[in-house]
Amino acid sequence: MIYIIASTKLGIIGDTFVPADGINVAALLFGGFIVEQSTPKPKKPAKTNTDTNEE
Amino acid sequence: MATSTYLSNPLVTVNAVDMTDQCSSANLSRVIEALESTSFGKTARVYTAGLENSTLTLTMYNSFAASETYATLAALVGTSTTVKIKPTSAATSATNPESTLTGCYLETLPIVNAALGALDTIDITFTGGVYSVAVA
Repeated sequence: MIYIIASTKLGIIGDTFVPADGINVAALLFGGFIVEQSTPKPKKPAKTNTDTNEE
Repeated sequence: MATSTYLSNPLVTVNAVDMTDQCSSANLSRVIEALESTSFGKTARVYTAGLENSTLTLTMYNSFAASETYATLAALVGTSTTVKIKPTSAATSATNPESTLTGCYLETLPIVNAALGALDTIDITFTGGVYSVAVA
């Protein structure tokens, strides 16, 4: 899970927010200062047909 | 004797949120509790250092607007957070040290402190936590 800044009182809107030690993330979410963004899953590699028969 | 005028304009952040524009007073005190260790034969009381219990008291204008006082503090009451304060908004340096209380506790949050013809202001106190100071 990553957090995106949603208020100029916290930083630049749209930047990723990395909570420092002791920061209460739940309170920032409650106040609308940050929003959660799911970490994108890595794309599966494209399937390719490979010929493994050695003749 | 030289005199100087000190225009107080500290930078205050609560839980990483810049609250400078809602804050009119700040009082950070580093407190290390005194444990009495006076023993027989002494003619004066003697103390030794106990646990640290620093406090930061802020006077803030109350605002229920988005990203303002209430939005910042409402979910912090009864929890621990980190607060920072430094004398000016300039870069942190030896002459502009940044003090931090990490893991300090907010016990009380006044919701409304209203009086006719006056701005709604609240006093909040963060207690405890680990004190540190940065000079760079």
